[in-house]
Amino acid sequence: MSSSSDFSRRNRRTAATAFVAVAGMVGLTFAFVPLYTLICQVTGLGGTPQVAERSDHEVSTQEITVRFDANVDRSLPWDFAPNERSVTVNLGAEYLTSYRSTNLSDEPVTGISTFNVTPIKAAQYFTKIECFCFVEQTLEPGQSVDMPVTFFVDPAILEDELANDVKTITLSYTFYRTLDDIPDEEPEIISQADTVLTTARLGGT
Amino acid sequence: MSTTATHAHDDHHDHAPKGIWRWLNSTNHKDIGTMYLVFSVVAALVGGGMSFLIRLELGEPGIQVFDVVGEMMGSEANQFYNVTVTAHALLMVFFVVMPALIGGFGNWMVPMMIGAPDMAFPRMNNISFWLMPPALVLLVLSAFMGQGAGTGWTLYPPLSGLAGQPDMSVDFAILSLHLAGASSILGATNFITTILNMRAPGMTMHKAPLFVWATLITAVLLLLAMPVLAGALTMLLFDRNFGTAFFDPAGGGDPILWQHLFWFFGHPEVYIMILPAFGIVSHIVSTFSRKPVFGYLGMAYAMASIGLVGFIVWAHHMYTVGMGVNYRAYFVAVTMAIAVPTGIKIFSWIATMWGGSISFKTPMMWSIGFIFLFTVGGVTGVVLANAGMDIAMHDTYYVVAHFHYVLSLGAIFAIFAGFYYWFDKMTGKVYPELAGQFHFWTTFVGVNVLFFPQHFLGLAGMPRRYIDYPDIFAEWNMVSTWGAYVTMASTVFFLVVTFFVMIGGRKSVANPWGDGATTLEWTVDSPAPFHTFEETPDFTGGNPAAHPAE
Amino acid sequence: MSRISAFFTGWVLTMVCASSAWAQELPTPSFPVPWQLNLQTPASPVAEQLVEFHNFLLVICTVISLVVLALLLWCAFRYNAKANPVPSKNAHNTLLEIAWTAIPVIILVVIAVPSYRLLYYMDRIEDPELTVKVVGNQWYWTYEFPDYDISFDSLPLQDDEIDVAAGQHRLLEVDTPLILPTDTDIRILFTATDVLHAWTIPAFGVKLDSVPGRTNETWTRITIPGKFYGQCSELCGINHSFMPIVVHAVSPEEFEAWRASELAANDNTPDDANRFAALIQE
Repeated sequence: MSSSSDFSRRNRRTAATAFVAVAGMVGLTFAFVPLYTLICQVTGLGGTPQVAERSDHEVSTQEITVRFDANVDRSLPWDFAPNERSVTVNLGAEYLTSYRSTNLSDEPVTGISTFNVTPIKAAQYFTKIECFCFVEQTLEPGQSVDMPVTFFVDPAILEDELANDVKTITLSYTFYRTLDDIPDEEPEIISQADTVLTTARLGGT
Repeated sequence: MSTTATHAHDDHHDHAPKGIWRWLNSTNHKDIGTMYLVFSVVAALVGGGMSFLIRLELGEPGIQVFDVVGEMMGSEANQFYNVTVTAHALLMVFFVVMPALIGGFGNWMVPMMIGAPDMAFPRMNNISFWLMPPALVLLVLSAFMGQGAGTGWTLYPPLSGLAGQPDMSVDFAILSLHLAGASSILGATNFITTILNMRAPGMTMHKAPLFVWATLITAVLLLLAMPVLAGALTMLLFDRNFGTAFFDPAGGGDPILWQHLFWFFGHPEVYIMILPAFGIVSHIVSTFSRKPVFGYLGMAYAMASIGLVGFIVWAHHMYTVGMGVNYRAYFVAVTMAIAVPTGIKIFSWIATMWGGSISFKTPMMWSIGFIFLFTVGGVTGVVLANAGMDIAMHDTYYVVAHFHYVLSLGAIFAIFAGFYYWFDKMTGKVYPELAGQFHFWTTFVGVNVLFFPQHFLGLAGMPRRYIDYPDIFAEWNMVSTWGAYVTMASTVFFLVVTFFVMIGGRKSVANPWGDGATTLEWTVDSPAPFHTFEETPDFTGGNPAAHPAE
Repeated sequence: MSRISAFFTGWVLTMVCASSAWAQELPTPSFPVPWQLNLQTPASPVAEQLVEFHNFLLVICTVISLVVLALLLWCAFRYNAKANPVPSKNAHNTLLEIAWTAIPVIILVVIAVPSYRLLYYMDRIEDPELTVKVVGNQWYWTYEFPDYDISFDSLPLQDDEIDVAAGQHRLLEVDTPLILPTDTDIRILFTATDVLHAWTIPAFGVKLDSVPGRTNETWTRITIPGKFYGQCSELCGINHSFMPIVVHAVSPEEFEAWRASELAANDNTPDDANRFAALIQE
């Protein structure tokens, strides 16, 4: 029977290896979450811009237009818009602009924003120095704030054969209500038009 | 797990346990294989019935089926349609194709083919199976909990998140997939251990039958892909219930992250469904051509390379999410590369037939049908692989046609091929040839009429997952639904004939297929005895199942 | 494949100014025909290339499928048990195996060349003269022209609001279509407010996901005036089937007239909004 127990030991070793592989893959899956963020930051995947302290580039005579786009999630009772619609800047030059948020509700509300850059291939050349993304902002009822954004566009974009067709970059922000600040009762987020449509299709349910 | 399979059965000699306990407590690979097959048929009845409802609904413009069905289920038509589409896909993937090919044929045939007394871990095998019924129950329950999970089988957030589907149904679906995934991981471990350690003396991997190769590669894919799904599902479950924000942009998450994780699992998953089919078809083509498989090693390594490359092509499902052009270019290249090993397999099957002495028995017909229809599904796959072209195809019926050609007409054809091939071996009965041929030809016509027009619909721009469509698409939809009628009639015919053959068929012999059948399962009686081999087969002097040259 | 027939469009442009009589008789040059077999008639350079590339792929696919079918039929004819009672034992042929590895590689390279040309062409953008922003909502689209402060919802018409006699199509009509100029490079930005959606006009060769929390960008240049349809192409919940997309492609002059009337109606003319007007007057 010694060969039989050798056999079963081998089987257990193989199975143990398999379970280690499974555990490893589960670990990798969770490790992929921060890794994905990192990949986005490094490669601009999904339009994630670069981050820097300052522009070390020589200011080029070449210009590029940067457009500013703003979105507000329905759960956030804010007005949120860029203070200038677009700007034409020299490559390598730092530029300071701002967005304005206004709390339209009668209670303090905390918001947080995501952002990205399009065309996606331009993201690795768009570098933000200062911005308000992923920072919680609490606004008192009726309060308005100007939120600054400082950025520059890397002149290296001119040398990228795939990206040098880009003459206009769009910087887009979306403001959300922070998850901690969502009121207990379900917020009324369905617009009038939506309600009409839903009823029509649901057959009155 | 401390005793090996042989040991556990020593005191039973050759008598199978009786009654329900034989099944509930079964550690016998054949009994568990049978339970997997029965389970898969049950799930196929539900999943196939759902697809029939979908086709009935789409037979003409307007909503005429799901308003009634939805009301019966206490749900609203559009939502219940989405629930049905979702459940159909999940059932077919996790509860029909995988249990039939891996759990059913894998359990039945792999130990016999390698001359092993049973699986390496018979009791774990039991757990693997018995995790599946609760998983199925959870999935069916999810359709009845609240509004049901109408998210598509891809479960894309935010639709699958709290904002999109606020009630418990998606949670039930997640838990169902967790159980099915756990079952698959245990099963995969068992197969890997069995195949690596328990082959008969002298059977090197390079002498192992191709179905064994296919099962091994499939098991490895399962082992590496399923945990990724499990991890992603866990994140989704936490997002829904515990306030995390993996996929919620409001909390710094990204819904696209889900798509990367899901398809990192999802693409290997489609090879998990098709590789065992490749294995089965190889055996059948060889048996009925009375020739060894052409280019055996090429076949084995083609499967291995398909499995390997399957892990690095996932984002070709995501060409329209907004991804950098160089990423898309990369995924185009690797995706198209898969056509090469797939082509090797197709041509090797044809070369196996070439010069053979072919008898066109039912299993062979299904296999030839498989080869041709898989080719058609394969070339549309090459079309879809082009990221530029995909802009026109993504989320249209062209994609639906493509993946039904490779899965419904591919994997399901291979399941039927395997069923007819091994029917004698599993039941000891003879399946009436004429009935099998009739079943094949009606299904062949039915599914082609059903799915081929969907290419045209997709090209013309009809999006998928639509309960109702503009009237201009009515004609081809009508034809497609005719195909569904034929297919459904054919399936009912198959079920009835199978039922009667099971209760009163003629007794079969050990090897009904003649000297082309050279794997070990044909050396034992039909049905295969409870304990397969009286003495362990020995491959050191060559294949003991090979028939002497004439 | 094209059915060039003029339709009397009977929608009521309540949100569009009454001066938009020009939009009354738009043809639908890309609308599918019954029993349609192939892609819709292209109405942009990208879509033209898509059709061309697809026809090329179609030939390759058909030839491959027919070759496999012919080989199978030949085996059935020549090597059935009656015709060939004694099977050969041949299971290897290195030359053959190299051939059926190499030939598919060559075919794939032949496909890849135009495929990559198309992919990179689609990605390359001239600096567009007009920007439109598309926002997906459950279950309707919102369109914005950020440079002109024009923004409106495009709500689907219900079945009982469809005027079939006037050439309207069930499930495809909206109350306010998106108006776009022809022969103009247009930048399209996409985002969504709730779940994923995908905006597409097959005739333009445009399809891109609307993702909440981020913006996507693509471009198009419409070559034929007319009315173009699309439907949401990413499962978005209960009414996924019921959020059509309608684009009216009109001449730049007509577009300018529409824009001016919109702005007059809004009584809100930003200073920098005349860029497009200046462009088309050049």
